[in-house]
Amino acid sequence: MRKGWLVALGVVMGLAMAQGKLTVWTHYGGPELEWLKKTAATFEKGSGTKVEVVEVPFGDIQNKFILGAPQGQAADLIVSIPHDWVGAMAAAGVLEPMGKYTTASYVQGLNDVAVDALTYRNQLFALPMFAESVALIYNKKYVKTPPRTWDEFLKIAQENTKGNTFGFLYNIGDPYFNYGFFTAFGGSVFARSGGSLNAADLRLGGEAGQKAIGFIKDLRYKYKLVPEGVDYGVADGAFKDGSLAMIINGPWAIGDYKKAKIDFGVASFPAPPGGSAWKPFVGVQGVAMNAYSRNKTAAANFAKLLITENSQISFNQAGGRIPVSKAAVAKLKNDPVVAGFSPVIASGSPMPNIPEMGKVWGPWGNAISQAIQKPDTNVNKIVEDMVAEIRKGIGSR
Amino acid sequence: MIGRVLTWLVTAGIAAWVVFGYIGGMNLPGVPGGLGLLERIQPNTPFGFVRVENGWVYVVGGLLAVVALILLYSLAITAVSNQRSGRKRSPWPLFGQGVVHMFMWMMLFFAYYPILQIVAASFDPTNSLYRFSAPQSDNLLIRARVIPDFAQANFDNYLKLFDGVVIYAYQWVLLLVSGVALLGALGIAGYRRLKGDTKESGPLATLQSRALITFAVAFFLLIVFLSPEQFTSPNTEAKFLLWIRNTLFVSGLTGVLAVLLTATAGYAFARFNFPGRYPMLLVFIFVQMFPGFLGLIAIYTLMSNLGLLDPRYPILNFAGLVLAYSGGIVSFGTWVYKGFLESISKSLEEAALIDGATKWQAFTKVLLPLSAPMFVFIFLLQFVGTYSEFILANLLLTGSDSWTVGMGLRNFTTGQFQTKWGLFAAAAVLGSIPILLTFYGFQRYFVSGYTAGSVKE
Amino acid sequence: MYQSPPGVRGFLMSIGLLGGAMVLSFVVGLLVFWGLQAAFPRPIDNPYPGYLVLIFAVIPLIPLLILVARRFPFITDWYYLLPAITFLLAFTFYPIILTVYFGFTNYNGIRNNGKADRSTETQIVRVEGTRLVLAQPAADALRCDEPDCAGVQLEVTSDTQRARVTVAQAEGSAVELTRAPAFTPTLAYRVNAYSFIGFENFVRIFSQAGTVLWPVFVWNLVFASSTVFVSALLGLIIGLMLNNKNLKLRGFYRTALIISWAMPVVISVQVFSAMLNVQFGPVNRFLGLLGSYPIPWLTDPEWFKMSALLISLWLGFPYWMTATLGALSTISEDVYEAAKIDGATGWQTLTGITLPLLRQPFIPLLLGSFAFNFNNFGLIYLMGTQPGVEGRPSTAQAGDILITWAYKTAFQADGGQAYGLGGAISVIIFLITVAISLVNFRVTGALREVR
Repeated sequence: MRKGWLVALGVVMGLAMAQGKLTVWTHYGGPELEWLKKTAATFEKGSGTKVEVVEVPFGDIQNKFILGAPQGQAADLIVSIPHDWVGAMAAAGVLEPMGKYTTASYVQGLNDVAVDALTYRNQLFALPMFAESVALIYNKKYVKTPPRTWDEFLKIAQENTKGNTFGFLYNIGDPYFNYGFFTAFGGSVFARSGGSLNAADLRLGGEAGQKAIGFIKDLRYKYKLVPEGVDYGVADGAFKDGSLAMIINGPWAIGDYKKAKIDFGVASFPAPPGGSAWKPFVGVQGVAMNAYSRNKTAAANFAKLLITENSQISFNQAGGRIPVSKAAVAKLKNDPVVAGFSPVIASGSPMPNIPEMGKVWGPWGNAISQAIQKPDTNVNKIVEDMVAEIRKGIGSR
Repeated sequence: MIGRVLTWLVTAGIAAWVVFGYIGGMNLPGVPGGLGLLERIQPNTPFGFVRVENGWVYVVGGLLAVVALILLYSLAITAVSNQRSGRKRSPWPLFGQGVVHMFMWMMLFFAYYPILQIVAASFDPTNSLYRFSAPQSDNLLIRARVIPDFAQANFDNYLKLFDGVVIYAYQWVLLLVSGVALLGALGIAGYRRLKGDTKESGPLATLQSRALITFAVAFFLLIVFLSPEQFTSPNTEAKFLLWIRNTLFVSGLTGVLAVLLTATAGYAFARFNFPGRYPMLLVFIFVQMFPGFLGLIAIYTLMSNLGLLDPRYPILNFAGLVLAYSGGIVSFGTWVYKGFLESISKSLEEAALIDGATKWQAFTKVLLPLSAPMFVFIFLLQFVGTYSEFILANLLLTGSDSWTVGMGLRNFTTGQFQTKWGLFAAAAVLGSIPILLTFYGFQRYFVSGYTAGSVKE
Repeated sequence: MYQSPPGVRGFLMSIGLLGGAMVLSFVVGLLVFWGLQAAFPRPIDNPYPGYLVLIFAVIPLIPLLILVARRFPFITDWYYLLPAITFLLAFTFYPIILTVYFGFTNYNGIRNNGKADRSTETQIVRVEGTRLVLAQPAADALRCDEPDCAGVQLEVTSDTQRARVTVAQAEGSAVELTRAPAFTPTLAYRVNAYSFIGFENFVRIFSQAGTVLWPVFVWNLVFASSTVFVSALLGLIIGLMLNNKNLKLRGFYRTALIISWAMPVVISVQVFSAMLNVQFGPVNRFLGLLGSYPIPWLTDPEWFKMSALLISLWLGFPYWMTATLGALSTISEDVYEAAKIDGATGWQTLTGITLPLLRQPFIPLLLGSFAFNFNNFGLIYLMGTQPGVEGRPSTAQAGDILITWAYKTAFQADGGQAYGLGGAISVIIFLITVAISLVNFRVTGALREVR
């Protein structure tokens, strides 16, 4: 008798747990975190399911999720994962394919680049929330009209590089910020064949890679724009200080620039000399679900609430991220930031989301960092070594 | 004799290689890239960079002038005092002391320069370590940004760390009590030091230890009853006090556990001669040479199987972290304590054993009271060692409510793109206070622990 | 009193008794735990926590130990070691053994401990006994290496259940299983499991020994020894200066200079790496006033190493200052008095008395400090992005030492999770550390006196 009672209690407790709570991991901070908590509260009121928002540092989410999900220690949802994690996390078996929770009309209302980015092997693994890419952000105090050609750009940049101001700085060592130059010279990371990426066909090397890395090196040593020691913090700090005319940066930085009362504009980077149009990486972040979640229906409902048109608009207002819902973009077209970044995003190409991409970042950044160390580095050799290292990494899997 | 000459020759050879090849860049075998350190400096002066041609001449000249002044001073003082007392004393010891003082102040500058920078950054609201607009100042050092400009300092960063923290009335009382007790203890200690009172007992000593105990109890209660509900701000950084609480909790428990585990083991190794003692000692040494924290995956699996990662119960997560840390100190602590016991004469215990005490009684009644400094040392070593650890903590603790100080600090500097230097600096300044207090308060234990001649690794 | 059986027999007997008691009570604990689970089941998402096993194991362990001690009194000596040994076994040995095992596998994020690959999710159209008919051709959808998918592990799920099955063979979209699942599944996934690959990881590491292992190892040795050398030297000088009893303010200097030892590394190293920025860091600004051009502290591979040494000098000298003062305080004044009477100069006292007397206490400290710096992960890791070196992989750059190389390989490069390769590097680090320590012990005879 007593045993039956205990069992019943256990079952009730279990049910209460299962019904009652969703856990969400997020890497947002400040107003965006506040937005997420507010949305969670709205959801709680509507559905009766409690949502617990847990902050996890961005760099730890992937590792912890892959380790923890099978053990039942990870959250039901991650808000949000960058799309380049999708391949690795799906292959590790921790992401739930989201196709079955969405409708075709919903998907049609989204920016195609965003949907593509979060699709891995024909399965949609996360519901897209926002897109981001880098663009040229300029301080209107120094730049009256944004440069359309390389010559105009160079003139403005060099004119402003004097005394305590800089004409142009950016995080020169980071491949993410440099990808636009690779596309401008005809490169890409992997070749795309039949809608999916072919990891065996690496397109970072060759002439395109040499020209791109050569150009990045020229930015430092030939045009004398980006001196040594410039990293993200330096460039960003200089722009916030009002002593920098132009920077390559993304929407995530906009909040700080507004706070620092900088009068800025957003434009595309002009085509570098001898190259074609500059197309940066597009990063898409989406809401992903734990394949081991015990509360998938509620999780899917909350995920869907996070990506409605209205949510995307209010999220944009909180943190300035660029929505991927076409309707939301249309409604925000008067916002100079959305208007500035949207065309850049539409023209850009998504970062590869296949797991092999993880083998590319390290050697790629290493190559750029080596090339810009000294004026007399052997760019061709560096590019060759980079390609060899990436190939070796991909081959060893 | 030949050996000696050879040693000197080899040393000189290495030194010459380093100086001429590695630093100077002469073409010697094995120099990396055939390029010396000095040649790697590019002779350009970037904009905004204040470079004073041959500035070192002024500095060296200035230092020489100071040395000359010291020399004059010591000559004059000795001359005067010799004349008065009629003795013949050499001026050189006084001159030596003067130079030592000068050297010490240079070392103080070396030691405190990073501290100055971090304090400056903590008062800078722009969240960056670098200021670009040149400070308007007549001072060359400030204009060159060698010395931070405090003209725009404000407390924004600090305020953000405490934004929205609700503190209940009883906690204010506890805070007040612990603050007064700590100040009292420090005051008495300072007073006793001035008076040269080094007695272990006496009314003042008793008062001091009572004040310290009051502080410890009040502070402990304060920490234990601080709860996440008191942090109402939506901002992550406003949970700073909670992180301090978590850290003190984890590091404190780890320290206590370390003492508990190592005490009996150290005793057994020091006093018993059982078969297998030597192999076990070797095991204790060599096992700690494995880079333990690379076993992250294994530790994660273990803690997960033990049910210690359950996100519903943060206390279990902390317990898991404490257990994971505890493995690290066992062998080192055991060795240290064993060495300490070996330096204590066996006669006391033998007397007790002859009187019919068991080994356990001999240990608890005779040795334990003598071992307090060593236990404090082992505790502190573990406390300090885990205070700012962030790799294991990141793995086993989830959610900003259970972060430790190390994780919080790391989070400021490893956002997806941004580095919040201002908040980092403010949190660093405040977060290092507990550890600095520990260090200064227990300085002599560190000294005696390390130099008891017992640390044999 | 009691007498242990001597020699190896006594050792093995003690180990056997202790191990037997622990295993026995652990089994009891496990049985009780399983019994509890069977008798009072809890829902799958709220199970009994695993630590209960330990609690249930300790309860029979204590009486068991008392019984063993009655029969074999000599075992009580070992009971003093028991807490430490238990913790070492659970939280040090177990992770080590698992890590070593990983070193011989191709475990990584994708081969995640035998988890289903979600990107191979395929619908099951119908089930006929051991035959599954999939919505798409099996070899393609499940990404088999062989066209007939023989031997591939699958996870099949329905809404409520999941099971593991093995493919016997597949043809088109029909899959023949070795055994029928116990329920009617609707979805199938391929299982990505890691496998034992022998010495492949080690072969891979040694195949690039010339460009990675060797340079990293050499720099690691140079780093550890020169760090100890420079910081011990500076600390020794300061300590000797402060040992002068007539010096005013000596207590103040000693206390004030300890700051860099006390400061948590996670703070000081990150501040240093900001201060050493080539153009904007205050260090170069200061040197600029002295007439120097900007020094590429963190952007040039060789200067990066210098920066690592500089920071470790800053971090390390107070320890040596304190150690010197502590050791000097044990030297009796009489020795100096005697030397003075003999007319020894200051320099003669220093080289003839002080330094030789410091040798004895310093040797173990030097060895300990060397061992610590040899694996000084915090310093190198927290210095942040490193300048690239031609021909070296991104995980082993200018300033990387063995342990940061292993960490970056296992947890950062390779999409984040090359646990197998990382495990192999850990084994190599362990062997190197042991070898170096053995040499050190032999040279200094530190172990001999223990015996």
